[in-house]
Amino acid sequence: MNLVLVGISHRTAPVEVRERMNIQDRYLGGALAELVRREGIQEGLILCTCNRVELAASADEGVEAQRAIRQFLSDFHHCDLSAYESYFYWYRNREVVRHLFRVASSLDSMIVGEPQILGQVKQAYAAARDAGALKGTLNEVMQQAMAVARRVRRETALGTAAMTVSYAAVELARKIFGSLAGKTVFIIGAGKMSELAARNLLGAGATAIFVANRTYDRAVELARAFQGTAIRFDELLPYVAKADIVISSTGSPHFVITRQQAERLLAARKNRPIFFVDIAVPRDIDPSINEMENAFVYDIDDLGQVVEANKKQRQHEAAWAEEIIEQEVERSMCRLASRDLAPTIVAIEERLIQIRDSEMERFRGRLATLTPDQRQAVEALTQGILNKVLHGPLRELKSVAGSPEHGKLVQLVRRIFGVGE
Amino acid sequence: MQSALLWCALGFYGLGILLALPSMMRRRPSLPSSTLAAVAVGLAWHAIALLTLARAVHRLPAIDVESAISLLAFGVTLAFFVTYLRYRITSLGIFMLPFSFFLTLLAASPRGRPADFRPFSNTWIVIHVSAMIAGYTALFLTFVAAIMYLIQERELKSKAPRAFYYRLPSLEVCDQLYYRSLVLGLFLLTLGILTGFVWASRAWRGPWELDPKILASLAVWIIYLVLFSTRYSGNWRGRRLAYGAILGFAVIMVTFLGVTFVSRQHGFLPMSGRMP
Repeated sequence: MNLVLVGISHRTAPVEVRERMNIQDRYLGGALAELVRREGIQEGLILCTCNRVELAASADEGVEAQRAIRQFLSDFHHCDLSAYESYFYWYRNREVVRHLFRVASSLDSMIVGEPQILGQVKQAYAAARDAGALKGTLNEVMQQAMAVARRVRRETALGTAAMTVSYAAVELARKIFGSLAGKTVFIIGAGKMSELAARNLLGAGATAIFVANRTYDRAVELARAFQGTAIRFDELLPYVAKADIVISSTGSPHFVITRQQAERLLAARKNRPIFFVDIAVPRDIDPSINEMENAFVYDIDDLGQVVEANKKQRQHEAAWAEEIIEQEVERSMCRLASRDLAPTIVAIEERLIQIRDSEMERFRGRLATLTPDQRQAVEALTQGILNKVLHGPLRELKSVAGSPEHGKLVQLVRRIFGVGE
Repeated sequence: MQSALLWCALGFYGLGILLALPSMMRRRPSLPSSTLAAVAVGLAWHAIALLTLARAVHRLPAIDVESAISLLAFGVTLAFFVTYLRYRITSLGIFMLPFSFFLTLLAASPRGRPADFRPFSNTWIVIHVSAMIAGYTALFLTFVAAIMYLIQERELKSKAPRAFYYRLPSLEVCDQLYYRSLVLGLFLLTLGILTGFVWASRAWRGPWELDPKILASLAVWIIYLVLFSTRYSGNWRGRRLAYGAILGFAVIMVTFLGVTFVSRQHGFLPMSGRMP
């Protein structure tokens, strides 16, 4: 195993440098083909997003792949790489595996847990496969990286919690209504904030929309933008009863919806839940409505509080995700090492069987008088000796798989059994 | 033999709970697949236990209180398994697995069987017992959905989300699970009570309508009928319905376990020669 990865990302380089090092999609196939043509390079993978450029390669054993890759990059970009040296990070073997796992799982993303990165990794993988640049170790590592990302997504809640106030409202609505498909949104007071919240809710699947505003024309205008219905401000209550989510942001000094009104509303709704998002200051919705069954009222501070809690939750989840990555790196290294080991084991087994067969041949004459039973016993006896001799060294080899002294030990065992390089 | 098989099932249920503990403690959003595997193996052992018993008595294996509890435990575990696969709600494990474990433990604990033991031998009674047990299983799910609803509702009302907010499903999903299991449970309960009436009117003499277990079952049925109709009409929703389901299940437990030992003729243990 000889894996190398070089990259620049939002952590190490400003956008001008990332731009400069970017490899556009349409050149990707050619670049990959060119990369694997380089001396000693077996496999290659290029991942380019707006936040990172990563180039991973697997090289022949003992080859200094770093030089070949550096040469490839400066050839491709027609520039002297030394000017950018400080922006690059280089990883080898185990760190390559860990880095790829973390990137695919969105732990290295600018917004940790954002879901796009896995899709981008998949695309990069597909491109490399199509270019014939993945066929061995790196291919396996990439497949594992995607599996690990799926595991992280499945076992942690990374990336599910909202980080902004307006998205927190959507998330809360989901916790109440499950799917937002077919839900009705009512905007009271046409402002920038309520417009944004409504846009997010519609994006999440809400369908119908009502708009009411002091100035009726403005309501009509906004309703048209959302293909909704404009409602006159003084007759909004019957329509509120039809809405599942009410976003209020008027400049009114009094409550626009009082507790009494809310009681009538809920009765009219047959107690189906209703969610008030009050982003007005002073507040539009009587906060005591929150005490009523099936009504939920969040003001702007409450939403902020949810975002704070989400941030804490995300840190907690990220820590667990890192633990998963460590486990998986460990497992992956063992698998890769035993994969490297396979030819050695086969060679040693063949060698011993060959010795046994030639010895049996030598004694054939003297063993000719044996009965079939006895002959079978001799076969079993020699096979048994063979297995016992092999058992110790193989176990030892497997147990150190993935550790630094592994390579040396493999060489030693090969020499002891007289198996060529 | 029966008991040994049940202990095997119990062992795997216990293993499943142990394997789930770390992810529950650390509030993971999903249960480890090892838990599901252990529960599945436990279910298999449990099914074998029930099947061997059924073969031995040539009847539905609900012939005494232990085997009825065993059947209920099997139902609850199976309900957990299926519901988890459908809804992927980790918290179901917290509520349902310990309950299955407890029920299986009750069923597996050895107790003497009375000498004049006779298994159920009539189609009506077999339908009665199996419908009641399946109904109780469905209503247990209603109870779990109600508890999850109450916790999630409290989280949403408190405006300071804690662990459960992230882990529990939306109110809508709780409500859906609640309503579906309620409808199924009520249907099975009705079927069970009606077949019970048919059986009792044929087999029992005297004023059987006043049997305490029959009265308690009717009370259970009325509670769930009220819950169903108020939910259907939309008069009640959310919290009140949830409290109703908790009350209903408490009465079921009293009926199933408590009254069974009080009622002279309606228990699972035959107290007199004429009773199953």
